[in-house]
Amino acid sequence: MILSSLCVAYAGLLALALAMDRHHEQVFARRPSARTSRLLGWAGWLGLALSLPPAVIGWGWAVGIPAWLGLLTVAAAALVLLFPHAPRAALRLGPVALLCAPFPALLG
Amino acid sequence: MKDGFRQSMAWLHTWSGLLLGWLLFAVFLTGTIAYFRQEVTVWMQPELHGSIPDAGTAERAVERMGQLAPDAAQWTITLPGERSPAVSVSWRPVDAKPNDRAALKRATLDAGTGAVLEPRDTAGGNFLYRFHFELYGMPREVARWIVGIATMAMLVAIVSGIITHRRIFKDFFTFRPEKSALRSWMDGHVAAAVLALPFHLMITYSGLLLFMTMLMPWAVDLAYDGNRQAYFAESGFRRAPPPPRPAPQVAPLTPVAPLLAEADRRWAGRGGVGSLTVTNPGRANATIELRPAESDSIGRGAATERLLFDGVTGRTLEAPPAEPQPAAMATGNYLMGLHLARFAGTGMRWLFFISGVAGTVMVGSGLILWVVKRRSQRGRADTWADGPEPFGHRLADRLNIGVVAGLPLAVAAYFWANRLLPAGLEERAGWEIGVFFLTWAAALLHAPLRPSRRGWAEQLWAGAALFALLPMLNLATAAGHLGNSLPAGNWLLAGFDLTALAVGLLLGFAARKVGRNVFARKAAPASALPAGAVVEELT
Repeated sequence: MILSSLCVAYAGLLALALAMDRHHEQVFARRPSARTSRLLGWAGWLGLALSLPPAVIGWGWAVGIPAWLGLLTVAAAALVLLFPHAPRAALRLGPVALLCAPFPALLG
Repeated sequence: MKDGFRQSMAWLHTWSGLLLGWLLFAVFLTGTIAYFRQEVTVWMQPELHGSIPDAGTAERAVERMGQLAPDAAQWTITLPGERSPAVSVSWRPVDAKPNDRAALKRATLDAGTGAVLEPRDTAGGNFLYRFHFELYGMPREVARWIVGIATMAMLVAIVSGIITHRRIFKDFFTFRPEKSALRSWMDGHVAAAVLALPFHLMITYSGLLLFMTMLMPWAVDLAYDGNRQAYFAESGFRRAPPPPRPAPQVAPLTPVAPLLAEADRRWAGRGGVGSLTVTNPGRANATIELRPAESDSIGRGAATERLLFDGVTGRTLEAPPAEPQPAAMATGNYLMGLHLARFAGTGMRWLFFISGVAGTVMVGSGLILWVVKRRSQRGRADTWADGPEPFGHRLADRLNIGVVAGLPLAVAAYFWANRLLPAGLEERAGWEIGVFFLTWAAALLHAPLRPSRRGWAEQLWAGAALFALLPMLNLATAAGHLGNSLPAGNWLLAGFDLTALAVGLLLGFAARKVGRNVFARKAAPASALPAGAVVEELT
């Protein structure tokens, strides 16, 4: 459950970052169109919203919410450190995270 | 005065942050380690490393207590768990007063054999935990006031910081290590602050709440007419009623295994039984009370739930459910519970630890930024090196070295002292703490004697070496080294060694950066900085 939440949170934050001109340029070397930017933004918020349920299911509301915020911190810290040094790796980790997300939930 | 409010917030942020910043750095650093204080204590007691719990540990401990203290009024047995491998026991002699903690006798038992262990005298992780809110060697109340005031300054710095750096949510993911020193320190400071912002707000505000009755006693004094004991009693911090006197008739204690099984059934998935309290053991009116190892809610410790059995027949006497709390108290307890993190399992503890590291980095980088910014404004490209500068700037820089680089060094020295001081030394725990403060004092004295960059590099390298070599020291002085702990899957011990290694590598990385002075080579001269953009944001 921890890993599911972390993976989805990472993917969501990545989409949110890519919706911003500066980080989109870091990864793709061009600015996003207004439409792309808006879509990425929506996808990002959706990802953040979807990363909350695993934490709450795993820990309950009282512990789940602080845990979720802590996981957001870890995922965002990974992005902040990856963008200046390895922007392509930050991008590639996104689909990997999404692929991994269901497994911890399935394993319990 | 278009920017008047933001300017004044920036001023407030700078000075509330700087003046108590060195103290706050120490509070954040030691408080962050305190999330693992039990793990630290176990590492610092190598005598416990061979204790391996099994299914029979609880019964074995009860049996051993029958030999150690057959005539005691009460036994308390704390079972091993994820965070400690041995059994802690305490007992109260019949003639001692019920609430007299000093009369309690204590011992540590090997979980696998029941043998009494003699761990070395150490304050362990508790010293760092206590230091983060009570400092050391001064009256507790005074120290708590000092830390309370610093915590208030922290809250002011956080709120004014959010207003000052208004772009933080737009620049959420931005970190530009390749840019000017000023720019990258700024990014680092803001990233550490904003990434864990909910944590920073929670930990600071709840830290104040924990001091609530000390910092703001007036509401309680008014409502209870100055009788604080009455307030504590009513808020549920009441002391347990004195246990009944031992009955004169002797009766054997019921086997505990069925009671434990009953508790495991009721508290499934909660780590089982954490502790047993046996009152009047061996007497006709004996009772056995079980408490869960973990609480599944934050606001109340595991303590409020319990199972009480007749100690002779094994019949269940009561299993009171936890009482509901009023909403205001539940909210307060929830926030304070988050701060203390007693509810947290290892995964949660790591999340808190990482956020605590972010907080430590936030305070440390803020302190460094104060100096870097003033050097940039004077047109200095090399922000590490010495030069003619006002006394105040030099003082701040040297204090930064002695605290930001010197304190990790002192913590590492504390761990080294734990293994190098003879195990049987008189007042041993005090000596370990003495080594901590001597090392820190040496770092504070060393800083003004050296050129700035050399001072930084030397202290960072020393800290890096001491931390990175801790696993080797453990290998040389204890059985619980990585060669044993990793194959056995003993993450309690392996976690300490691996974390120490990681901290050593990080400090080494920082030392190399300072030593090589990458910042200076790439930094643009201050005159070429887009002064409007950068300096405006920083003032």
